[in-house]
Amino acid sequence: MNPRDEILARLRQAQRDETLPPPWQSRRDFPELAARFRQALTAVKGEVHQVDSLAAAHDLTNQLLRQIEAEKVVVNDERPLHNLPRLPHITYHQVGQEDAALRDFCASADAGLTSADAALAETGTVILTSGPGKSRLASLLPPVHIALVPTAALTTDLFTWTAGFNRQLPANLNFISGPSKTADIEQTMAVGVHGPKRFIVILYA
Amino acid sequence: MSNPSSATMSQFRHSATVAIADIQLQGALTGATNKFVNGRTTALTELPHADALRDHFKKIRAATLANLPHYLELFEQRATAAGAQVHWAQTGQDAVDIVLNIARQRGVKLVTKSKSMATEEIHLNTALEANGIVPVETDLGEWIIQLAGEPPSHIIGPAIHKTRHQVAELFSKEVGRPLSPDDIDGLTAEARRLLRTQFLAAGLGISGGNLGIAETGTLVLVTNEGNGRLVTSAPPVHIAIIGIEKICPDWDAAATWLALLARSATGQPMSIYTTAITGPRRPDEPDGPEEVHLILLDNGRSQLTGTPYEESLQCIRCGACLNVCPVYKKAGGHAYGSPYSGPIGAVITPLLFGLEEYAALPQASTLCGACKDACPARIDLPRMLLQLRQDEVAAHLLPWRERKAEEFAAYVLGSAGRMNFFTKLGRWGQRPFQHDDGLKLPISVGDGRALPSLAPKPFRQLWAEGELDNT
Repeated sequence: MNPRDEILARLRQAQRDETLPPPWQSRRDFPELAARFRQALTAVKGEVHQVDSLAAAHDLTNQLLRQIEAEKVVVNDERPLHNLPRLPHITYHQVGQEDAALRDFCASADAGLTSADAALAETGTVILTSGPGKSRLASLLPPVHIALVPTAALTTDLFTWTAGFNRQLPANLNFISGPSKTADIEQTMAVGVHGPKRFIVILYA
Repeated sequence: MSNPSSATMSQFRHSATVAIADIQLQGALTGATNKFVNGRTTALTELPHADALRDHFKKIRAATLANLPHYLELFEQRATAAGAQVHWAQTGQDAVDIVLNIARQRGVKLVTKSKSMATEEIHLNTALEANGIVPVETDLGEWIIQLAGEPPSHIIGPAIHKTRHQVAELFSKEVGRPLSPDDIDGLTAEARRLLRTQFLAAGLGISGGNLGIAETGTLVLVTNEGNGRLVTSAPPVHIAIIGIEKICPDWDAAATWLALLARSATGQPMSIYTTAITGPRRPDEPDGPEEVHLILLDNGRSQLTGTPYEESLQCIRCGACLNVCPVYKKAGGHAYGSPYSGPIGAVITPLLFGLEEYAALPQASTLCGACKDACPARIDLPRMLLQLRQDEVAAHLLPWRERKAEEFAAYVLGSAGRMNFFTKLGRWGQRPFQHDDGLKLPISVGDGRALPSLAPKPFRQLWAEGELDNT
């Protein structure tokens, strides 16, 4: 017998019928999802801005890029980023075009711009997926990650998200709940160890 | 500190004695475990119905293990459909061989790794090095202990036994100039700089897995630093090694798992990055690994199903039981001689790696029950520790004096008449050894300790004679 069958055969000797409990229903009820999202993400040193339109989100994005004096910016090919006005002094890499150069660009980029598929209010979490025009490294290698997220993408928590999720998984799905951090040296929190030092979410109506 | 891959009675006693005398280590252990305990308490207090959620999770884990072959096959089928390659490893050596084969086929010289207890369990780094492949640990804590040449001392905080001074010393050696121990941001920045080049140069990324979701064939990794994402995104090949017990039936169950994992481990509502990987990059994607290999590791686990020890497989490696354990908090992780320390380590280490080699571990507990209280799956660790002690008696693994003493105690305690007789005998026999501060017997009961002497009249006699003031 091959290892697979041997392991399974051993396990089958102890196999018995025990049914799973029905899915846990979320016991959370936040009066305002965006407020909870902001509170949770800010508590772990993430940054949250709320604006009332996509155009305002674009303005704010460019203001932030100027503030950090960004010279190289990688932009995922996602709908909320399509009409982002480009700043003259910045070199952009549009994901989905010349992807052979993507990795090197991300490694030296000052910021990565993405949207998100969904967001969890309870934990201040943003859900990113991989796919055509959507780079994993764009939200990972640059020191600043800015995510433009429609307020409508907010759901209460992991349980409400799972209940409505269609089970069509991309190769890579990330729940991001703050800037990269570590507490491995004397439990002292340090931000930006391998991933972004700043994680900025712009919620727009 | 020497780190034997065993913990016999004398080894454990020796390592624990050394650890207890090490003031730096004691300070580091107290600081870290207290911080973890407080974080967990706060996080679970904030979560509505946290105890009911733990009960729910217990049911999920028990039902999953009862049907493990079904969920493993489903996981294999769905992961394969998504393009991942699934491998089965009966032993640690089998898993190592699978990794080495893939590495050879791809001509890999440099491997980046994210924190994985399974790879510690199978001594993967040693095997990679012996085959001319350089493994670089990228979790900051793991990197610290890799530089120090030590095994991890805590399931989630591998370097909690190190002070910032020791870390600064190790990093200074690595960068070739002195770094300040008081600038933790600076130390972290050096790690980022040095490891960034390795991430991008590595031909292979190796990770563990916090759970595998059968429903979709998805591997889930939970990290804070982002190294788990880098290891699984940057190199062309990703290998994950995951224990066969870490299977979760579906996303609903996974939500419960994830709601409890980070809260129990570090006190975070959610870790910074929870990464769900379903196969390699798809043809239209701009980045990600071309190959994803999932190694399902048995290494003794399947033999525990259907035994009184099956419950130990419900563990999700959050480390909560370590932080509350009075023995772990003093002896530290290295005394256990195993990557798995603390109460859960004291149970699974002898079960997976041999009761004789790790005979001290079931004894390394006060049976206070704090571990069971802290466990997100409410695993009854004290029950299994007691069961293992019975196994040790049956296998004659205890020192003969202890065995004889226990047999004698069982004989005496077995009848009221014998109890009375021996108590009387003891009161008479203790006279030559009685001192003001208790009994000083010619055999040692621990440094500087004395046994209380037998009272002139036992409690039950005082009670019966109505001599007790019961106000």
